[in-house]
Amino acid sequence: MKKGRAAAFFWEFFKIGFCTFGGGWSIVAQIEKQYVRGQQLLTSQELLDLTSVGRSLPGVMITNVSFLFGYQVGGMVCGFACVLGIAMPPLLILSAVTLGYQALQGNALMMSAMTGVRAAVVPIILSSAVALRKGAFPQTACYLVAAVAFALSLLWDVGCIPLIVFGMAAGIAMCEWRERRGEKPHGAA
Amino acid sequence: MVLLELFWSFLKIGFTSFGGLSMIPLITEEILSHGWMTAEQVSDIVGIAEMTPGPVGLNCATFAGIRAAHLPGAVAANLGVLMPSLTLCVLAAVFFSKVKDSVRVQQMMVGVRPVCFGLICAVTVQLALTNYQPGATFLPSLLIGAADAVLLLRFHWSVPKVLLLSAGLGLLLVR
Repeated sequence: MKKGRAAAFFWEFFKIGFCTFGGGWSIVAQIEKQYVRGQQLLTSQELLDLTSVGRSLPGVMITNVSFLFGYQVGGMVCGFACVLGIAMPPLLILSAVTLGYQALQGNALMMSAMTGVRAAVVPIILSSAVALRKGAFPQTACYLVAAVAFALSLLWDVGCIPLIVFGMAAGIAMCEWRERRGEKPHGAA
Repeated sequence: MVLLELFWSFLKIGFTSFGGLSMIPLITEEILSHGWMTAEQVSDIVGIAEMTPGPVGLNCATFAGIRAAHLPGAVAANLGVLMPSLTLCVLAAVFFSKVKDSVRVQQMMVGVRPVCFGLICAVTVQLALTNYQPGATFLPSLLIGAADAVLLLRFHWSVPKVLLLSAGLGLLLVR
């Protein structure tokens, strides 16, 4: 019975995995439609909690949320089934795309098109940084943290991992400092 | 062994990235330091990963994995980037009620988010230097990039649409 359930979740998440344009939120929307309003396996508040925890853990947000969802509704095996289900379609699609990319690499038309695509990458990343800005600076000192990370990475080639660890330490330090001065506790967004 | 290296690199990428494009700086760093691809190809990954369905992290893992070691490489890289979901999330699920209200995690995120922001800005500069190099493609690239920025920021076009347009403009303008 339980095995059959995990297989069913695998299959359903496999299907969801094929239509995940627009990042993690579209998946959450589909889970909401299918399991909160449809099968009523969990409440929308529970889904919101799963999403916010999945988002604050490192890694791919969608697979994080998928595991937490599967675990909540069907236990450990269902959690793994959901992760594999949702991760499989991108693997298949990208494998095909990459092989096509490799095959066309010398092609002049392809190179022209890819020059256009490359030119789009910087504005795309910039626009996502603009979106990220909203939640990133709850305290003034956060701007300093961002500036330090930017400078160390670009000018002194400091690796990403030490900088992330620095961010964690700085976050704790900033919040504790604020709390000690009796201001609003942890200004998390 | 390249499979293990791919797995390990993407494991590091997985454990130190927090959502969406915050992976790009890490991916760039790992891929360039291993010499798996050139700086231009890193931009191609981002473009292709954004154009196709699926999360950017998984798409990049597949693309880089196949380029470095064919399908087994893609599987190794995917497993690496999935590791936080398969380990940390298990812990988080088991202790869910504690994690949900953990002040420490929220405090850390207050510092991690601006670091991710700074890193993304840094990698943007780095990618801009490779993608808008002086030469035959300089002017068309700059034009396309400027048009895309306006469409994204002012008219809120979706990313796949912008990429499609840019590919079309590339065909028209780049010889």
